Formats: sequence, C-alpha cells, structure tokens
Amino acid sequence: MKRMENVDILPMAAVALMVVLMMMIIAPMTMTHTNTPVDVPRAHTAEAKTEENFTITYTKDQRLYINDQPVSPESFEKIVQEAIEKDPYQLIVLRADKEVLHKDVLEILAKVKRAGAKRIACATKKPKGE
Amino acid sequence: MHFGTEPQGLILNSLVDIALSLVIGFIVAIPLFFESGIFVNAPGVASGSSTEVSDIKVNIHLLNEGGILLNEEPVSYEKLEELLPQLLARSLERRVIVSTDSLVTYERVIQILDLAKQKGAGELALLRSRR
Repeated sequence: MKRMENVDILPMAAVALMVVLMMMIIAPMTMTHTNTPVDVPRAHTAEAKTEENFTITYTKDQRLYINDQPVSPESFEKIVQEAIEKDPYQLIVLRADKEVLHKDVLEILAKVKRAGAKRIACATKKPKGE
Repeated sequence: MHFGTEPQGLILNSLVDIALSLVIGFIVAIPLFFESGIFVNAPGVASGSSTEVSDIKVNIHLLNEGGILLNEEPVSYEKLEELLPQLLARSLERRVIVSTDSLVTYERVIQILDLAKQKGAGELALLRSRR
C-alpha cells in the first residue's frame, strides 16, 4: 500500500489565503453601495462601520442616487419611505460630496428623518496618512 | 528519471509569504479605501430657547465667512478644540448641536462633528436653523 507521506499542504494554504484576501475585498463591496463617485469628507471618527445599509448619494452636481441608482427629487421621499417602512432601524448612510452646501444636505436629512429613519450616518473617509 | 533535490517546496513557501504579506497589507490599507461614518441625529428645527436649563449646552454655529460661534460667543477653531472637552466634561447628555449659515459647506460641518466626537461628544445633532 502506498503511504501518504510528505503531504504538501502549502499549495492549499496559499489558495486559502488568496480566498481570504478576495473575500475581504469583495464582502464590504457587496454590503455597501459606494460605486457612485463622490468625494466624501475626511474624518478621524469612524463609528458606522461596514454593514448592510441604505445608501443615499448626493453628488457635487446635485444629483441624488439611492443604492447607486439615480432618483429624481420627486420620487426620493417615496422610495426612502418604502425602505424605512420595511425596517426603521436600517442604517441610512448619506454620502455627500464635501463641496456641497450643508443646507442641501440638511434638506435630504430632513426628508429621511420625516420618513421615520432611526439610524443615520454621514459617510466619511479616514484622513490620508493615518 | 531521477531528480535531485526538488525546489518546489521552497517556491511555495515564498508564495505563501507573499500572500501573507498581501493580506497584512490589505488589512492595513482597507480602512483607508472603505468609507466609515459618523452617526448624527438630524435634523431638527432650532427652537428659540432651550428648556434644558440644568445641563451645560454645547451649541456650535458655523458662519458663512468661516467664523465659529460656541454658545453664541465667537471662537477660533483652536479655542474650540480647547473649550469643547471642558464643556462636554460638565455636560450630562454630552450633546453637541451644530447649526450653520446658508453657505457653509458640508466639509466644514463634518470637520466640526469629527472634532466634537474626538473631544468626547455623545450625541451629535444638526439643526436646520439657528433661531
């Protein structure tokens, strides 16, 4: 009988490591909606970590996106309301460009709050060199 | 056919080393690429006066021209950094209320919210109007 000597587990370890690496990159991408390019402000505080969320993006040219899908300002409130009715404790992430006016952001937040959102977070990025 | 010492094991060792280094590299770099966030309680409409007279108030108002008012008193950013921890330490709710003039950019507000959180704010609230 042939003995199983010197079983080389190194290739398996290498493959497993690669799989871990791919999972680490892909998992947050599938849970969040950050495909719409927006230059979010930088901040040291990082409270809201990656979790499945409802993402509202407000671009520099004042366009609104919900989960990376463009929406009109008229239909925005209705879509948000429908989503929050399903789960009021769903995390609502607002990704606004750092150069937009705060009063516009507040208008969006007011609509989200009116729709009944309980958890709202403003998206930020870690400052460079941290 | 007879081979001498097989170098395969050595090659894979270095591959694992590289893969491990990549994983570590990604663990370090990922927080820089992915977004995080700051929880806010937003937005309410400011009332003229607060009924919570027993607690220390931390009201920050950002002016169009770059100025900052802390509880109606003009302060510099450096002074705000110094005063915020003192005020928050004496506040029960540790709530910071931020309001702005109409032309203030979102980046400035986030900068103040970030500072407040770093200095120990518990809850951040954004107000639509000052008065």
